[in-house]
Amino acid sequence: MKELSIKVHEAWLATLMAGFMSKGSNKQKLVNFSDIIFRHFTWVEAEMVAAGVSYDYDREMIPIKVASLGVMLQNIINRLSQIAQELDSVSGDLAHRISHDLKYITFVLSNMRDEEVTAFDANRELDGIELNDAARDALTLFLFEESYKEYELIMIYNYLKANSKDAYVNRIFQILIDESFFHLKSFGDMMAKMGILAVPRMISREVYQIEDIQAFFYAGIDEELAAKEECRKLSEAVSANSPELAKFFDFINNQENYHIALMKDALAYWEKGTND
Amino acid sequence: MDVNAQLIEHMMEPKNYGAMPQSDAQGIGKNPENGEKVAIYLKMGNDDGEIYIEDIRFQAIGCTTTVVAGSMITEEAKELSIRGARNLIEATFRILTKVPPEDAACSEMVALALKAALDTYEKRVDDPDFPPITYQIDNTCTPKEGEEI
Repeated sequence: MKELSIKVHEAWLATLMAGFMSKGSNKQKLVNFSDIIFRHFTWVEAEMVAAGVSYDYDREMIPIKVASLGVMLQNIINRLSQIAQELDSVSGDLAHRISHDLKYITFVLSNMRDEEVTAFDANRELDGIELNDAARDALTLFLFEESYKEYELIMIYNYLKANSKDAYVNRIFQILIDESFFHLKSFGDMMAKMGILAVPRMISREVYQIEDIQAFFYAGIDEELAAKEECRKLSEAVSANSPELAKFFDFINNQENYHIALMKDALAYWEKGTND
Repeated sequence: MDVNAQLIEHMMEPKNYGAMPQSDAQGIGKNPENGEKVAIYLKMGNDDGEIYIEDIRFQAIGCTTTVVAGSMITEEAKELSIRGARNLIEATFRILTKVPPEDAACSEMVALALKAALDTYEKRVDDPDFPPITYQIDNTCTPKEGEEI
């Protein structure tokens, strides 16, 4: 089951990256399929938790530097085929559900139109917006930093949710996962346009196998505040050349307020529970 | 950080990133201020009696700059003898004395992790169960006050 979970994790990321690479009608399908495969990942994880299997989110590097989307699609099809061969390690119902999804996804991927991929050409231009060197460098660093951060947050909240039976905090964790998915997809699309697309690096176990959840929330709130500040700086840096991009970073900045409110809510709930 | 093609390459595909379950030694470099850390794993080889770094991996809880430094330093360290790797560490420390502390902190953490891993390896020659050594950095990576893009 653990091996299956790793393969599904890797297939999810490979499919999401292919969605970022695509510039045409394949894009939305690939992103939607990546969402489905992520759900498969959570279902397999739920079975591991229920069975008391010790697990982590370790995985291999995922090579994605391709010149044509077709190469990536074939890579994903191979990954899905390997997953299908491992499905006997989970319950029959789950295996059947995943298997059915994979057959359809494989069918659609096999018939997708090929595309030239420019997501790795390091052009560092975004939608024709003229940025000065400092702003371009800052945006580049921001995208690498924050795309990893959003992936990290998805995995942390997913792990906490998988290992908690508390409906109140799990509702908060799910909202934060959804929010981070939106941010990751936004940043991934920007990275692909700028030719600097990269798979977020693997996260260390101690980041998500959290021993002190209160400390985690306090640190998380500080990180959200720091992210707000980065968004503010970027918005200022690009506002002269692109009011639209500035508004995007103001929007992300404002969303962090909501995340902070949710984390404070979860923290208060947690502290109340531990003090009662 | 000035972003050039070489740095982008290391950001897009960090070299030697990941865990190494069958390592011969592990070392950790840590920033006590913010909990950021770098772990380096070594697999050592023996070439006619000279011990060298056959394979190396690193993992970081830290920023992109730390990952770039880890990618570059581990790439340099691969296949070096123990003496060569220690020279690399010293050379890194010397370069870092010439850059502002907040810029030096990430690379110092990586170099210290490599030093810790080598020291752990040498301790394990006498005691195979010697635990991974952790060293803490001197520099601080607190951003400069009022720094703007």
